[in-house]
Amino acid sequence: MTSSFKWTLTRIVLTSLYLFAGWMLFTGSTNLQTMATGAAFSLLIALTTFKLFIDDDEAARRTLIPRLHWLVVYLFLLVYKVYLSSFQTALAVLRNDYNPRVVHFRTRLNSDIARSVVAGSITLTPGTITLELTDDHLVVHWLQSTTTHSRFAGNIIKGSMEAILKKVWI
Amino acid sequence: MNYLAALFFVVGIFFAVTGHIGLLRAPDFFTRLQASSTCSTTSVLSILVASMIISGLSPFTGRVAAITLFFAISSPVSTHIIARYAWEEGIVPWRRLK
Repeated sequence: MTSSFKWTLTRIVLTSLYLFAGWMLFTGSTNLQTMATGAAFSLLIALTTFKLFIDDDEAARRTLIPRLHWLVVYLFLLVYKVYLSSFQTALAVLRNDYNPRVVHFRTRLNSDIARSVVAGSITLTPGTITLELTDDHLVVHWLQSTTTHSRFAGNIIKGSMEAILKKVWI
Repeated sequence: MNYLAALFFVVGIFFAVTGHIGLLRAPDFFTRLQASSTCSTTSVLSILVASMIISGLSPFTGRVAAITLFFAISSPVSTHIIARYAWEEGIVPWRRLK
């Protein structure tokens, strides 16, 4: 059994586990026939899509399995930040007073999934939209900018989110 | 409990209205997109949170939580695609004159 075959097998198993978890969440029944159908289709879909779901070169364990307790902390932080900045954005919209700038900064996260999660979180937070993400370089449109300095802007926009995401994934 | 849910519904409606006002009044493409993404994110999130509060601890709440999670993944992706297209097209973002 070569190492590439083992890696392929791991990817198929992980993909079908994720799919099966989704199936269980939405059917919500422990009927044996339903579960068997779900498992069979999870495996079938995993066989065709595992190359897209888990990249060939993402072999570090913590990029595949997030540390769930930190992920929960992260979700609460995200909801808090969304509400905080949406009140600021609502105030800016009602006063019709904008100061938008495009800022560039880098992220210290290494895995692809953590980088795309931080880019998605920046877009989800009102007042900031990720325009581009190439490797570790982010281009962000910022509605109420206070600085254009790369490091300070990065700290304000992604500071605490990046610190927790570094604990969830690498 | 119902009052808390009502509060979240009101917050959701407030942000939806604010987002649409911003969509009409903002000076350029990117700021309009910011206003409309505020509208979509916070108002939909508030309404989903309110429906989770109403349904209490039940399997239904878990499904709403899953929908919230999928929304949190799909909403920024669609906003990002629109913004990225405009950025690649070379639309110059508006700036406030000093």
